[in-house]
Parts: sequence; structure tokens; C-alpha cells
Amino acid sequence: MDYLDGVIVLLVVLGLVGIGIYAIMVSRNLIKIIIGMQVMVKGVLLAFVLAGRVSGNMGLGQSLALTVIVVDTIVAVVALALAVRVRRRFGTLDPRALTTLRR
Amino acid sequence: MVNGWLLLPIGVPWLGCLAVWLVGDRKPRLQHTLAVIFSVLAGATGLALIPWSSQRATLLLPLGGVFDDFRLATDGLSVFLTVVATVIGSLAVIFSVDYMHGEHSLGRYYAFVLFFIGSMSGLVLTTSLLWMFVFWELTALCSYALIAFHNDDPKAVRGGVKALIMTQLGGLGLLFGALWLYAYTGSYDINQFLGNPNVVPPAVLSWMAFGFLIAAAAKSAQFPFQTWLPDAMEAPTPVSALIHAATMVNAGVYLLARFYPAFEAVPGWRLAVMIVGMLSALLAALMALVAFDLKRVLAYSTVSQLGFMVYAVGAGGVFASQFHLMSHSVFKALLFLGAGAVIHGLGTRDMRQMGGLRQSMPFTHAVFMLGALALAGIPILNGFWSKELILEAGLGHGNPAWIAWLMILSTGLTAAYTVRMVSLVFYGNGSKHHHEAHDAGMAMRTALLPLAAGTLSTWLLLGPFYTALKSSLPYHTLELGTVWEEVVKVAGSPEWGMTLGVGMEILREPSTYLVLCVVIVGLVAWLGRSRLASLIATFKGVEKAAQASFGFEAINEAVVQAVQKTGEALRVTQTGYLAWNVFAILLGWLVVLILTMLGRAS
Amino acid sequence: MVYALIGVGALGCAIAAVTTKRLLNSAIWLALTSALVALEMYLLGGPFIAVIELSVGAGLVTVLFVFAINLTGEESTPNAHPVLKGLALVCLLACLALVAYWVLPPTLVSPSNPDTQPLATIFWEGRRLDTWLQALLIFTGALTVLGLLRSTPQETDQKEENPDGLP
Repeated sequence: MDYLDGVIVLLVVLGLVGIGIYAIMVSRNLIKIIIGMQVMVKGVLLAFVLAGRVSGNMGLGQSLALTVIVVDTIVAVVALALAVRVRRRFGTLDPRALTTLRR
Repeated sequence: MVNGWLLLPIGVPWLGCLAVWLVGDRKPRLQHTLAVIFSVLAGATGLALIPWSSQRATLLLPLGGVFDDFRLATDGLSVFLTVVATVIGSLAVIFSVDYMHGEHSLGRYYAFVLFFIGSMSGLVLTTSLLWMFVFWELTALCSYALIAFHNDDPKAVRGGVKALIMTQLGGLGLLFGALWLYAYTGSYDINQFLGNPNVVPPAVLSWMAFGFLIAAAAKSAQFPFQTWLPDAMEAPTPVSALIHAATMVNAGVYLLARFYPAFEAVPGWRLAVMIVGMLSALLAALMALVAFDLKRVLAYSTVSQLGFMVYAVGAGGVFASQFHLMSHSVFKALLFLGAGAVIHGLGTRDMRQMGGLRQSMPFTHAVFMLGALALAGIPILNGFWSKELILEAGLGHGNPAWIAWLMILSTGLTAAYTVRMVSLVFYGNGSKHHHEAHDAGMAMRTALLPLAAGTLSTWLLLGPFYTALKSSLPYHTLELGTVWEEVVKVAGSPEWGMTLGVGMEILREPSTYLVLCVVIVGLVAWLGRSRLASLIATFKGVEKAAQASFGFEAINEAVVQAVQKTGEALRVTQTGYLAWNVFAILLGWLVVLILTMLGRAS
Repeated sequence: MVYALIGVGALGCAIAAVTTKRLLNSAIWLALTSALVALEMYLLGGPFIAVIELSVGAGLVTVLFVFAINLTGEESTPNAHPVLKGLALVCLLACLALVAYWVLPPTLVSPSNPDTQPLATIFWEGRRLDTWLQALLIFTGALTVLGLLRSTPQETDQKEENPDGLP
């Protein structure tokens, strides 16, 4: 892997994180927001593997990425269950329906 | 895994917790049975540790380098507190069979009680400060959940939240202490630290010392955090007996005693500890003198007695404080469980509606009297011996005499409020509830009897307890008088001889008689209060202040109000829309990035 | 060059995933993104994590999404306010540019003497506690989902109040 490849992978990481955050911000559908979160985490995973590669400790990078996968999968599952619940309760997936915490 | 059995006092109750919870609330009988079985098993494992109280058995579970390893070790102090937690825990569970009969959500109740017993054992057995913090917080969680057990009662929920928040303040002190220790030594090992406290620079050491003092004060409901304990009395009474009298509130005293060798030399620390203990003992005793809720009186009395223990640690009497801890957990558990029997029989906690109960509840009356006399410090009962030791420690060692005198005054007040409580509940004219009252049931008696026997006899353990602590705590200097050494030679057996010797020494000490006089003055003052009316009238102001908890409740309220107002004001910033929240996060990220860039550029 | 091709593919799939109107298509684009990211990981020298990402990220999570979308039903997503969109884009690009500027200068090449400690050692020896905690976390997550998907009496009332709000 030469320098240019590293730069390219880093740009892919940034791109994925950016697309994810953008999706979370502009979507008005809970499932779409969760998909945005997933895209963002893909970028983070790639960043861990890249960091393992450039620091020469691939094992540590991979093991941390594995932890992120575990956590992220649980987050996705719980978030999806919440979305299902919201849909049942409020009849919509629009997060703007969830403003009841604000009084 | 050598010494895996050390995990039993933690594991057995936790297993029981899981089992009771899994059984579900539809089978209350099975829940009662399982809870009793597991708690008694836990008590047995606790008692089985006693042979290891004078030697060191260690257990180490390696958990990788990032976190500290999971380490347990036995010594006199930890085994003693494990025994207290598991045995009194099992008695409280047995008592609950009657007390909680027919209640809802038994699974939640028993699960948290058992979880608490295991956590408390872990708290005292571990030798890693990080794990101590973890268990410390677990006990706080259980305490919160059990105070707010009747979660449809707003008072109970408020009490629970209050206890949780105030003990969290203390948790912060402990956490900072632990992190400082780690930052300077690279390990959380307590014994390594106690052996050589100077690895930490003096300034940091004193920060740690006062951080731990805050932690202990918050956990043990000491001045200025004493207000949470009375409000915690919304908990079911066996919980009050177990958590808020016999075990969890002792964790603060345990912390101070455990770290005494390290902080002893920190300038001003010992004085601060003594003053905290003295103020708690004195103010709480005054509040107990004017309260009318039976459980609140006992709660104030607990704060006051814990004040005695904290004072003893500050005065250099680590052994005296631990010995009083033992006596106190036995007789206060007895008093609380006795009060539970009274409350269960009558359905009220107001002492003005009691009275004359000694005919309708003879058994409860008998055991409650034993506990009350021990609390007042009447000779032969365990409270007398341990309180004497504390006051002697306070008068010796070059400690400030004015604090010692105020402590002796608190002893007199203790006697006075005890007599007041007993006479209001059991003597005098019976009220309308009189004939409806029923005496304690079988399970209640099973729990009360061992405690009553303990109140009569635990002071005999003075010698063995001292030997165990002495031989297993290398960093503590435990001091007793010198007379016992001679008696040991005469008696042959060193341990029992010491009990005899220390007993004799206590009896020879002039301060003993002084304190006894104060106690008797306290007793007589209450009995003859009608004649002293004019004198009492001059103290009206004190009474008013005591009823208002000396203004601490007002300070609490003010803090709560301020926080709530700030929250209301900040509500404007919360639109409730996810997009704007993420946008704010993004803006924050941008600010942090720009700041880092600027920092790098300069 | 291979890195660039796969990277551009992954980015394209990601954009498709967040812009497609239909949720099911979205989930499938996400799976493709995941697969391409896994490939990139493999090329970077992480075969273990690539396999796991392929099976969990592209497989399991997609199945979960499909289930969830079945349960909730498709719903047309209105667009966000254009001002918000613009603000978001500007702020995001600024952040990413700063991060890129910060991270790029160091040499992004693999060192000549890599640390060859095996993954299993790191995972089971060096990080024993959090490995166990992860297992606990999975268990907790399963319990949470069970709790969330159980319908409560309160909710049945809600259903009766607005029956048209249900699929």
C-alpha cells in the first residue's frame, strides 16, 4: 500500500461518515435515519482497519473494529425495534412526532 | 483459579437474585422460599470465611491490562463486614417473609435485596480501588431501587432519588481518588498504596484524603449530607434495617478505616474527620429527640451512631470504630426489625398513635428493649463496651478535648431519645390501635431472636476480633491499653483473655463512670422532664431548629430549586427535532476541530 | 487503483442508500455498501474483519432491516427544509475538510516491521474484560428488543383511538 492508496481510503472514510451524518440530519423517516447511522459506522470501521494498517498493529485494529460491529449491530437492532414501536404508537415514522418529551 | 470459593459470598446472592427474578411474581411462595434459601446459603458462605479472617487468601481474575484485574482478598476487616452483610442480610430476608406477605412485585424486592448482599460482600472483599468503586455504586443502585420500592408513592420515589443523587456525590469523591491513585502509581491496588502512601505527592494525597472523606460522609449520611437517610425511611422496614442501618451506610466508615494508615499524616485530615463525626453525632441526636416518626427517630439515631464511628476513626481508634460498627449493626438491625414488627402490627409509623404496646406485643417489647438499652449504652450489652472504647480513644491520643466532651454530651442525648422512643411506643396509655395490634409472626421471631442474642453477647468477641484485625492488617496500628497483656498471661488463652482484659480495663477507666453518669443523667432528664419544664423551655429554639433539620433541608431545597429553574430556562434550546440536535453536535465538532487547529498552529 | 475503484463504488452505493425513496431499496444499497467496504478491508489486510463485516453488516443487518420495514410499512419521506439542508452541507464539508487537513500530512504507508500479534491473543488475552462485556451487551440488546416489541395494554388503547394510523 503506498501513500496515495492511504489517502484514497481516508477520503472514502470521510465520505462515508459525511454521507451518514447528512442522512441523519435531513431524513424525516426513522428507518432512513438508522440507515444513515449504519453508513456512518461503515466509515468508522474502515478507519479502524486503516489505522491498524498504518500503525502496523493489524490485530488491534481488527479487534477494535469487531467491537464496533458488535455495538453497532445492537444499536441498529434496538433502534429498529424502537422505530417499530414508534410506528405502532404514533402511526408514523416521522421523528418530528416524537416531541412529547418537550413538555 | 485458586481460592475460587472467595467468589461465593458475592456469587451465591447474585445467583439467588437471578433465580427469584426468573421465578416471576405469580408464585410468591416459591419466591419467599428461594430468597430465604439463597440468603441463608450466603450467610453460611460468609460465616465459612471466618477462619480466613486472620490470614490472607487472595483471588485474582486476570482481565487484561486495560482495566484492573479483579482481585479479592480476605483480612480481618473484610471478612468481618462480609459476615455482617450476609448474616444480617439473611435475617432481614427471613423477616421479610412475614413483613412483605401479600405485597406486589416480590420478585423486584427480593432480587434487589439479594443483589445488594452480593454487592456489599464484593465492596468489602475487593482490594482494587476501581472494583471497590464499581461495587460501591452497585450498592447505591440497590439502595435507590429499594427506597423507591413502592414506586406509586411519590414520597418514596423522591426519597430514592434524593439518596441516589447524594450518594453519587460521594461516589465522585471515590472515583477521583481512584483515578488519582492510578495516575500516580499505575495500579489500583489498595494494599500497595497503604504500604507506601508516599508514592503519591503530598498535595495529591491530601486531595485524595478529602475526596474519600466526602465519599464516606455521603455514603454514611454524615454532616453535611445527613439529610438523605431520614427520607430513605420510605423503604420497606427490613431494607431499612439491612441497608440503612447495618451494612451500606457502614461502607463510608469502612472506607475511612481502610485508608486510615495512608491519610493519617495528611495535615488537618484527622481533625476534619473528627469534626464531621462530632457534628453528625450531636445534630442527629438532637433531631432524634424531637421527631415523631418511629423510623425517622431510628434513622437519626443511625446517623448519630455512625458519627461516633467516624469520630473514632479520626481520633485514631480504628479498632474502636470497627468494634462499634459490629455492635451497632447488630442492635440497630434489631431495633429496626422490632420497629418493623410494630409498624406491621399497627399500620402506622407515628409514635403519638402508639403507646402501651407492651401488653399486646410482649415479645417485640422484650427484644426492642434489649436493643434500646444497647443503644443507650447500658453496661453488659454490646453498645456499652464499644461506645466506651470510642470515647477512650477520643480522650487519649492527644485529641482535642472539646470534641470529646461534645461526644460525651451526645452519649447523654442518645440515652434521652432512646428512653423517649421506648416510652412513647411501649409504655403509657394505649391508644385506639391497642387491641388491633398483633405480635410478631414466626418468621419475624426467627429473625429477631438471633439479633437479640447477638446484642447480649457480641462484645465477648472483642478479643478474637482484635487478634484477627491485628494479625491481618499490616499497615494499621491498632492500640489498646496495656493491662490486657497481663491478663492474657493469667488467662492462658490469648483471645478470650483479651476480652476479659479489655473489659477490666474499660471498667477501671474513670471516663467510663463519667459516661455512665451522663447516660443516667440523660435517662433521668427524660423521665423527669415535667419538672425540668422551665429549663427545657429555654431550649425551645434548639427544638425548633432540630425539627427543621438545622436548615440543611432548606439548603437542599434551594439547590434542587436552582437546578430546576436552570433546567426550565434552558428548555428553550431544546426544539425536540432530531435534525437540529445533530446540527448542534456537528457545530460542536467544528468548534473543537478549529480549536485544535489553532492550538497546533501556535 | 483498486482501492479507488472500490472506494468510489462504496461511496456511490452509500449515496444511493440515503437518497432512494423506497426503504427496501435503501436497505439493499446499504448491503452493497457494506460488501464493498468489506472488500476494501480485505485489501487493507484484515481478512477476519472483512468476513465478519460481510456476514453481519451485509447479511444479518439487512435481514433485520427488511423485517423492520415489513413491520412498519413503507412511508413516503418528505424533504427536509432547504435552509437546514444547506446549513448541514456547509457545516459538514467544513468539518470533513478540517479532519482531512489534519490527518493527511503524516505518511499513510504501512510500516516495514508490522506487529504480528495474532487477533485471538489480543481479543482473548489483552481485552478479556470487554470481550465478556460485549457478550453481556448482546444479551442485554436481545432482552431490550423483546421488551420493546411486546405490546402493552396502554398501546392497545392507543390503537383503538386512531385506528387509521395502523397499517
